[in-house]
Amino acid sequence: MQGEKKLKQIAEKVLNFSTAQETEVLLFVGNNFLTRFANNQIHQNVAWHDLGISIRIVNDKKIGVASTNSFDDESLKKLVDKAIKLAKLQKPDKNFISLPKPRKIPKVKNEVYEAKEDELAKSVYTVIKKAKKNKLIASGAYANDTSELAVANSRGVWAYHAGSSCNLSTIILGKTSSGFAADVGRNVKSVNAEKVAKTAIKKTIDSANPKDIKPGEYEVILEPQAVSEMLAFFQWYGPNARIYHEQASCLSGKMGSRVFGKNITIIDDPFHPEIFPMPFDYEGQPKKTMTIVEKGILKNIAYDSYYAKRYKKQNTGHALPAPNTMGPIPLHLYIKPGSKTKEQMIKSVKYGLLVTRLWYVRVLNPKTLNVTGMTRDGTFLIENGKIVRPVKNLRFNQNIPEALNNVVSVENKLTRLASFEGELVNLMPTLQIKKWQFSSGTLF
Amino acid sequence: MPMLKLAQEILGKIPKVEYADVRIVEQDTEDIAIKDGIVEALQSGHSLGYNVRVLHKEVWGFAASNDFSKSGIDATIKKAMEIANSSAKYKTTDVSLDSQKPITASYKTPIKEDPFEVPLEEKIDLLLKADKAQKVSPKVVITQSSYQANREKKYFVSTLGSKIDQEIIWTGAGIESSAVSGAEFQNRSYPNSFRGQNQTRGFELVRGLELEKHAPRIAKEAVDLLTADLCPSGEFDLILDGNQLALQIHESCGHAVELDRALGYEASYAGTSFLTPEKLFTFQYGSPIVNLTADATIPGGLGTFGYDDEGTKAQRTYLVKKGIFQDYITSRETSVELHKINPKYNKKSNGTVRASSWSRLPMIRMTNINLEPGGEVGTGKAWALDELIADTKYGIFMSTNRSWSIDDKRYNFQFGTEIAWEIKNGKLGRMLRNPTYQGITPQFWNSCDAICGRPEWTVWGTPNCGKGQPSQVMYTGHGASPARFRKVKIGVVNW
Repeated sequence: MQGEKKLKQIAEKVLNFSTAQETEVLLFVGNNFLTRFANNQIHQNVAWHDLGISIRIVNDKKIGVASTNSFDDESLKKLVDKAIKLAKLQKPDKNFISLPKPRKIPKVKNEVYEAKEDELAKSVYTVIKKAKKNKLIASGAYANDTSELAVANSRGVWAYHAGSSCNLSTIILGKTSSGFAADVGRNVKSVNAEKVAKTAIKKTIDSANPKDIKPGEYEVILEPQAVSEMLAFFQWYGPNARIYHEQASCLSGKMGSRVFGKNITIIDDPFHPEIFPMPFDYEGQPKKTMTIVEKGILKNIAYDSYYAKRYKKQNTGHALPAPNTMGPIPLHLYIKPGSKTKEQMIKSVKYGLLVTRLWYVRVLNPKTLNVTGMTRDGTFLIENGKIVRPVKNLRFNQNIPEALNNVVSVENKLTRLASFEGELVNLMPTLQIKKWQFSSGTLF
Repeated sequence: MPMLKLAQEILGKIPKVEYADVRIVEQDTEDIAIKDGIVEALQSGHSLGYNVRVLHKEVWGFAASNDFSKSGIDATIKKAMEIANSSAKYKTTDVSLDSQKPITASYKTPIKEDPFEVPLEEKIDLLLKADKAQKVSPKVVITQSSYQANREKKYFVSTLGSKIDQEIIWTGAGIESSAVSGAEFQNRSYPNSFRGQNQTRGFELVRGLELEKHAPRIAKEAVDLLTADLCPSGEFDLILDGNQLALQIHESCGHAVELDRALGYEASYAGTSFLTPEKLFTFQYGSPIVNLTADATIPGGLGTFGYDDEGTKAQRTYLVKKGIFQDYITSRETSVELHKINPKYNKKSNGTVRASSWSRLPMIRMTNINLEPGGEVGTGKAWALDELIADTKYGIFMSTNRSWSIDDKRYNFQFGTEIAWEIKNGKLGRMLRNPTYQGITPQFWNSCDAICGRPEWTVWGTPNCGKGQPSQVMYTGHGASPARFRKVKIGVVNW
């Protein structure tokens, strides 16, 4: 931990070194521990610490960005000089107006927790012990990340946030199957290693000896992890101002129109009580809760200061670090819960598949949002409202907007899902989707 | 203080352990991205730090920091020792390493023109011209050009007595045109998609690409694709261009032969491999003309270096010879483990262990994984692409990757390319949009019946290979020339 005071001192020093018309300073601190296990043993146990700085310089609408992790005065002066030199060589961006000015940032608690010696290894050992008892093989990772982010600019912006996450995930391997489970919390106590092990072991046992199944169109029930994996590319290519205005998004030109089924409401909420809050973006602008799709109607998309000024819209606080060639991205999406339980969904399916996870999802066409990918870690056939047997994994080729127009029901609760790295956590329900296109099978 | 000396000082502070190494890594990066005539990104990056890796009580401890103060170094060493002690409490097996002799060596990427010394104005001008030259039609709605350069200085010392310093430089550039008409959106890239071509070469690579010259052709192809026919569906002969075959090799061979994957160490994230140890020396991975190598010594290859991050010399290894699976890419630890599982395997590390930065633990990574060209020993005739097309009655020729996906054991894959052409009676015919193909890895490689020769063989760079937890993005290379595969499932999706 560096703390707000120290980071502010560094930021002020750099702003004083700069002779540019406008300067932005971004400071990142990371204290990270990760215990990785496989074949029922810990095989990687690592720690790393870094403090980095990135600055954006603006002179006559010409922008330069430079970064370093050296913090002596000479290195910081060099960094400023480098960014000014880069900006000098730039062509003016006529669409750039200015860096943003300060706006009130919502107050959130900085929750920091650094795992004590053995804490991660102890939880990992809990998972390994349970796997061994069931004659299965455990693999996975337990990460404890503490990060600090600070943003300052020459117009008076100052924003600081610190937070930690403890993130345990496992894949349990059987002879013919695998099962996945994960949990995430602010500290080790809030992560239930016993439950993670139990869930993954059950999936592994239930999905043993999978049978071949013919590819084709199926009704599917996607569990929360699969829904999150399905929506990942929508998040990047959908409600993104840059892509939207380039006419390259599946949502382009559809503001105020129906884009998904009436039962789909998608919200970006960086303050949801079930996730770790993120009060500001990488330009130090406040975040707020934003409904993107309401009952199937497109209501809002994400903007940062550049695209908000360019298209005369309100900045929604979705900037990524400069230079951002991706566009503004909403990072805290969830689908509003519906009224059914997963069990009720299964009961209502005559012939379909229950999918635990998707894997290696990739975009075939970013405009139409056609994606391909595989199922993984537990796929099951449902017949007449009952799970009858595990099946081998399948490749799908699916249009995401079509899928979100064919949702039969949305689960009545959200599950908190961990990302593989860092603080980012999202919430998803199980979805029952009438039609999902599987194009081929694999050998396991 | 010279960095190698500093690394030795850090090593000297480590308490007595079975083995330890220290790596200091300094990375410089330069990125320029142009979009629609605007310099969207002009960025310079610098990162310096070190790590301490100890083998203590037969388990690893690893800690990394950018704090070079005395207290910072002491804390990092202490952390590495604590981690080893903590892991030792729960260990179930002991780590053993292959035997190595101490090495004192220096390596520097041979380049003609240092990319960091070329004036930025000149680089921006080159990219702006390449961007402007793509504006051949109002249907071209996005034009992009990009350049990146990386310099990595590595200083490695170990308790074996090794002292190695390396300077690795790689450079890359490319252009991309996007055309839109109604709901149709098409991309074309040159010389390759996803950041162009990248090699361990200097700015001479960028000059040689002649981006401006190729820009109008690429942009026109993007426009033509808007109205091209959809790629037909069915089982047809498939000729893959070298830039697409490179990614096919990466996904279906390169990852499958990583020994840590095959032994289950990546199971929790990217998965395992169908190439399990009992398949060594007997499994028919491909047809008899398929010869795949891992070669970290190829001049210009993006996966070329002098020594890996365990101090093992760069080398060339046959992974598949005359179609038979021969070897993995290995480390000092996993080569010993493999010998225990399959006693016929009696080799030391083949030098493929790298880390993406000072803060990451070195792990097995692809070097340059290559399909050896036709016309060499055991690779059949050296075809020319024209000859290969003339020899194909009906088929599809696909170029330049657009999408990729493969299952977690590396069997079922699907690739999409930016463009394809129909081959009819030995001639290239109509352009086809949205081409895709699917397959199962060994079936696919066993259907390979012709490979073009060395004149059409290029080492393509893949600078964005992800692996591990925490994630590490590594730069790898793939030598490939166009090749033909019989009766492949093509055009599986009409979209």
